[in-house]
Amino acid sequence: MNQKNNLIIGLIIACVVVMSVNVDADPRDFAEGLPNIGIMLKEITEVDSSLFVTAFWSMLETIQIAFIGTVVGVAIALPLSLLAARNLNNKFVYVPVRALLAAIRTFPSILWAILFVIIVGLGPFAGVLAIIMYTVGFIAKLQYEAIEAVDADPMDAVGAIGVSKLQLIRFVVLPESASHLLSQILYIFDYNIRQTSILGLVGAGGIGFYIINYIKFFEYGKAAVFMLVVLATVLIIEWVSVRVRDKYIVKSQRGKQIKA
Amino acid sequence: MQEQKGSPSPSISTLSIVQMNDVSASYDSKNYVLKNVKMSITRGSNYAIVGQSGSGKSSLLKLINGMMNPSQGKILVDYKIPNISDKKFKSFMHKIGYIPQNLGLIKNSTVLENILIGALPRVSGLNSFFKKFSDLEIDNAKKILKLVGLQGKAERKVYMLSGGEKRRVAIARALVQKPDIILADEIVSELDHVTAREIMDVLAEAQATMKLTAIMVHHDLQLALEYADRVAVIKEGEKVLEIGVEGDKIVDFQSGNYTQREILEMFTNESEE
Repeated sequence: MNQKNNLIIGLIIACVVVMSVNVDADPRDFAEGLPNIGIMLKEITEVDSSLFVTAFWSMLETIQIAFIGTVVGVAIALPLSLLAARNLNNKFVYVPVRALLAAIRTFPSILWAILFVIIVGLGPFAGVLAIIMYTVGFIAKLQYEAIEAVDADPMDAVGAIGVSKLQLIRFVVLPESASHLLSQILYIFDYNIRQTSILGLVGAGGIGFYIINYIKFFEYGKAAVFMLVVLATVLIIEWVSVRVRDKYIVKSQRGKQIKA
Repeated sequence: MQEQKGSPSPSISTLSIVQMNDVSASYDSKNYVLKNVKMSITRGSNYAIVGQSGSGKSSLLKLINGMMNPSQGKILVDYKIPNISDKKFKSFMHKIGYIPQNLGLIKNSTVLENILIGALPRVSGLNSFFKKFSDLEIDNAKKILKLVGLQGKAERKVYMLSGGEKRRVAIARALVQKPDIILADEIVSELDHVTAREIMDVLAEAQATMKLTAIMVHHDLQLALEYADRVAVIKEGEKVLEIGVEGDKIVDFQSGNYTQREILEMFTNESEE
């Protein structure tokens, strides 16, 4: 048994080495390039504080893109997740909906952004559309999984009263999966802010536009200002979402499960 | 405590609300959970089904509310054949209040929201989507909360309640349906002695005031004899015994193919558990 484990670990290491050679990942390059970090760090410390105002406004734009994208995305994802749940529909409904969602999830948000820049032109609107698409694919999948995990007992008990399917959804499925949905929305909003920060790279609005341009022109001090603002924002949102979780999610799950 | 309707003679099929003729049922096609069960349950009676775990007694309830279909034999519930996928029966289903063993409550909803679910068959699609219930329904729900002893707890979330209170909510939800029949699957088996009798008293009172037929599955024969007017004993899918009870007296005794000694042995086994 032990020998077999060693063999497996050895095989995995061998794979890493062979693949590194294949993709030209040479640790010696990293060692040689290390002094460059010093140059970068030195320039980053020369923060250009006059740029904080611009950074603030562009961060605000990023947050707005992420917020609209999250809200609209969730609103579209919720009905789709109800259609994709196997315990609510027959396969002629859930199979095509699941295929559609899988197709949406194939693209990362940056590819959606490029696509929408082509369709609606440069600017934040392309970013909003990209975030919507990403949110739909992601939330709908997590939510239909949460719906399928809803306890069969209340479904059977309420189903036996002879209520309609919509009533079953409204009074059993939604309340029983609501805390999952809230926790997923908090997570995706946090994630959307971070990914909206890089959508500017392809011209889809937000703070990423400044970051990529300053880096392109080797003005690391200026880029650093914008990155600091992103960092601060992510920390604030993290703090808020922890509080919301404690208040609404942890409490409501206390009756169901005990989690450390 | 108990209502006695008619004499417990076997020739009163016109009064029966549930009629089973040689009913067999199985989950797969090989192993039968119920074999040739004959049963006639009088309207307004308090009927108990007793048996050990795995004897098929829960399946009996699911046959009555149509969640399960018999593989052989015929069941009539208020002259209808129970089948959940039949539209005609679906409109009758709210007349059967079903309390499953795990109760099936919505833990994150309030007590009132939970019991109003019983009123949903009387509410239009649009109003139920916005959780809008008429004042009449809310008044009725609150009356029933009082009947089951949950007054003042309407706005509590169900996950905060004790085991006994959760059972009261499940009973209230079934009563809000304004049912003709109540089916309860081992509703007190996980409770302590005192709480179990409190819950049984609530059910007995509701049954008497609302003139219901109660069909309850129990693990405990003693409890069944105490509350029911007829008790059927199920063993390995077969009905081996049916007893009529009036107060402390046994008034009618029908056994299947079992000898008196075998039945006596069975009872001693039951009580040892």
